[in-house]
Amino acid sequence: MGANASQLEKEIGADQFPPNEHYIGLVNFGNTCYINSVLQALYFCKPFREKILEYKAKNKRTKETLLACLADLFYSIATQKKKVGSIAPKKFIARFRKENVKFDNYMQQDAHEFFVQLIDSINETIMEKQLAGRSQGGSSGRVGGGDGEQQAGGGGQQDSGGGGGNTQHQQQQQQQQENTWVHEIFQAVVTRELRCLNCEAVRSTDEVLNNLSVEVHQNTSITHCLRCFFSTETISAENKVLCENCCSLQEHQKRTRVKKLPTILVLHLKRFQFLGQYNRTLKLSHRVVFPLELRVFDTSLDAVNPDRLYDLAAVVVHCGTGINRGHYISIVKSHRFWLLFDDDAVDKIDPSLMEEFYGLTSELQKSSETGYILFYQARDPT
Amino acid sequence: MAGQGDTGTKEEIKTQFTTVEGVYRLLSPSEYSRPNRVAYSSSGGGGSTPAVRVSLVKVSDSPGHDHDRTKICFNYGRELFVYTYRGIKKAADLTKPIDKRSYNKEDVPTCHDFNSKTATADGVSLLVGLLGGQIQLIDPITKEVNKAYNAGERLIDKTKVTCVRWVPGSPNQFLAAHSSGHMYTYNEELLCGMDRPHYQLFKQGEGYSVYTCKTKSTRNPLYRWVIGEGSINEFAFSPCSKYLAVVSQDGYLKVFNFDTMDLVGTARSYYGGLLCVCWSPDGRYVVCGGEDDLITVWSYKEKRVVARGQGHKSWVTVVAFDSFTSVYSDAEGVDGCSDDTTKHNSFSNDVHNSKTNSGVPNSRPSSNRNSVASDSSGMSFITSYRLGSVGQDTLLCLWDLKDDALTQPYRRPRSSTVVSSSGVVAGSGVPQAGQPTTNSKCNSVKDSVATDSSHHSHSANSLTAKLANLNFGEKKDKEKSEKDHKRSLSLASKNSTQNCKGYVNKNQIVGSSVPSEDSQKPMGTPLCPRLDECPMLEPMVCKKIGHERLSGLVFREDCVITSCQDGCILTWCRPGKQPGSNQHSTPSPTTAVAMGGGPMPSGGTVV
Repeated sequence: MGANASQLEKEIGADQFPPNEHYIGLVNFGNTCYINSVLQALYFCKPFREKILEYKAKNKRTKETLLACLADLFYSIATQKKKVGSIAPKKFIARFRKENVKFDNYMQQDAHEFFVQLIDSINETIMEKQLAGRSQGGSSGRVGGGDGEQQAGGGGQQDSGGGGGNTQHQQQQQQQQENTWVHEIFQAVVTRELRCLNCEAVRSTDEVLNNLSVEVHQNTSITHCLRCFFSTETISAENKVLCENCCSLQEHQKRTRVKKLPTILVLHLKRFQFLGQYNRTLKLSHRVVFPLELRVFDTSLDAVNPDRLYDLAAVVVHCGTGINRGHYISIVKSHRFWLLFDDDAVDKIDPSLMEEFYGLTSELQKSSETGYILFYQARDPT
Repeated sequence: MAGQGDTGTKEEIKTQFTTVEGVYRLLSPSEYSRPNRVAYSSSGGGGSTPAVRVSLVKVSDSPGHDHDRTKICFNYGRELFVYTYRGIKKAADLTKPIDKRSYNKEDVPTCHDFNSKTATADGVSLLVGLLGGQIQLIDPITKEVNKAYNAGERLIDKTKVTCVRWVPGSPNQFLAAHSSGHMYTYNEELLCGMDRPHYQLFKQGEGYSVYTCKTKSTRNPLYRWVIGEGSINEFAFSPCSKYLAVVSQDGYLKVFNFDTMDLVGTARSYYGGLLCVCWSPDGRYVVCGGEDDLITVWSYKEKRVVARGQGHKSWVTVVAFDSFTSVYSDAEGVDGCSDDTTKHNSFSNDVHNSKTNSGVPNSRPSSNRNSVASDSSGMSFITSYRLGSVGQDTLLCLWDLKDDALTQPYRRPRSSTVVSSSGVVAGSGVPQAGQPTTNSKCNSVKDSVATDSSHHSHSANSLTAKLANLNFGEKKDKEKSEKDHKRSLSLASKNSTQNCKGYVNKNQIVGSSVPSEDSQKPMGTPLCPRLDECPMLEPMVCKKIGHERLSGLVFREDCVITSCQDGCILTWCRPGKQPGSNQHSTPSPTTAVAMGGGPMPSGGTVV
């Protein structure tokens, strides 16, 4: 590790090394690369890192939660004396296994599932804190609750841009739950519209998603996969749906549109396909290209910022043949550099190498190194 | 078994496709590839081998048969092949390549170009760009010429050559672009020098600069162009040879006056790098394709993006106009051009539109040659352009770009869809309601709000129009006016943030969350209109024609040539040109291939 680390430092060059930046690998504790790869990707999603470090700064002594462990880990990376090297995320992994029975073993796990669990857990912790802060608010909770209230206030205000305009829409569920900064960063609001082809009445349901799981097809782009996710379909024949306006079964057109784009757009490529009849999971190694920039085509007309431009910030790559075997690595962009994190090893790579991780055009090979989770970060002018 | 979900719906690879003019058929005997086709292992990442590209040239004074006069060059992996291209008349003879070369694994060929001006039966000048940055000049016929530029230490540029082309009409000057973002002008007769070139700034403009070599005696490179950020992916000379269109990984198209080195136009992809570029045969439009899966049509005259096309499922690797199928009309009939007054054009020179030979040979009929500004007086001009594109999605798309679709004025966002979808609301003054709240002094681009709304052709903006209708259909009447009102306000705030910084809209519905855009940002300007500001076209034909991603497309008088990453060069015979058959484009009754792609002639229905 030492040799490799110093080599990286040399390669980047002392004068080129971004100030206040650390490229620290994470030690593998036996099949924990699915955790390491996602943590590295998240660390290099700047808005997320900043919030986690902010949490650390504001919550010196708190009970041990997964969020607290993550904050400690990020803080420890950010305050390393050395610019390169590696550390062992021991406490975090122990805590994660304790909280999630399913992951409490030494098997290889799905990085996407881990990501979902982690984000949910962090969000819950913050929400609990906000609620606690609120209930104590009047009496004694100044010290503990100040932060929480501030957070909630900030979240609410920002939301008025996205959520406020939607009230005219018929909504089957009104999401009244409080927003946290986790929502602000990851949450996409999508509208599922059902349009009666007879009377043109539209029923729409809003849904919030922390990431979009898209189907993969051979020789396509992530743009196309996203467009399929949002594709329009017609419900006809036996599947006609009751239209409340017409009071009868009618043909409907169903489609999904993005109403609010998140700060970090997380795209999960559904490369693992469960085959019921064989009781096993197959990996789809299809070549799916992903550009360094992205916009989303299928935004609703009342979308807040439909032209929002994204830059690729990180990619979690799955290497190998199946969901329960193989290896995870991550590729991240930091300042002008692209880095490859393979557990404790860190390398600078040329962005043209990204082509190696699009997938395979041949169906014959079973093993592949393929982009699995893409993290696109909004390029909002500052 | 391994194919369950996705491969089950796998599309069949087509061997023919139908357009308005008839059926194009794959001619299997005219397939070119490496002589003994062993399965070239596409393993190892599956991505890093350079694209298989095709160059063609017609030698001028061949004593032999007419069909022996065309030479074809293509690269595949480490190898480069040159054959006589026998077209649709005779089957390919793969056992007799004119030339075949093998390269080092680290220095494989990436691009090539014949000099069409100097080509004779006794010798041709072929440029070959390599992965390591070197450029070779060879004569595959005589095998006597063997020059190298930027060789050895590669003191000029160590990055991949992405595109190499002879300057049209020049016997000795050529241009080479690299993934470093630099482009160099060479004279094949000059030496490259033994030491690193010292550059001196020669010309500078927005986003580019040109340098000369600072030496006593002239040496190569004559000029170094530094354009944008990131790799230059392709460049193309205009039909009149005067202009040069360059596309880069940073998503920019830049059009230069090649002689004066002035920047005359810019456009931006919707997102991602631009990978390919070509000019319409009359020089009025530049089309590029890229990582946004779109084709982008830019008008030379108006200096703006006039349309986009959506049909590919992955990155677009090649765009090329089919001048033989473009429809011409007299200038007088601008508005009323019908099919009767049009005629199919056929140029005698059959390689001028090839991707690798965008320099227009002089043998070409001259009517719309220099027509960068040719809408004038009495000349016939194109009213419907045929464009082809191929992509990493293994699809071939054909587009009919109608002149009227390309000449719609710049559309104002949102409000114009309001206008077009519901006249009542428009009448009640949505644009007017929006405008006063914005401002009075900075609505430069959008005076034409209402004018364009009355019509849209079928091919144009059908998608956006549909979406607009869909959305507006959903609202109850009461809500409608209120909502529209709001929208126009949000529109106003959007435009204001975009066009005049510092203006603060009182109504913060959108204003708060729309960041004030830097004036440098092209989004929402004529360089890169929003999706609803510009027509979105659909392809007329969209067919899967290969197993692997496609990397070459050349239109010829009697056929279309495509190349594929698996090393196959395919020839598609045009309707009515089939060897040994006189029937005109009547599909045989046995062909039961569904050609759902586009409008078909009433008589040409495939059974």
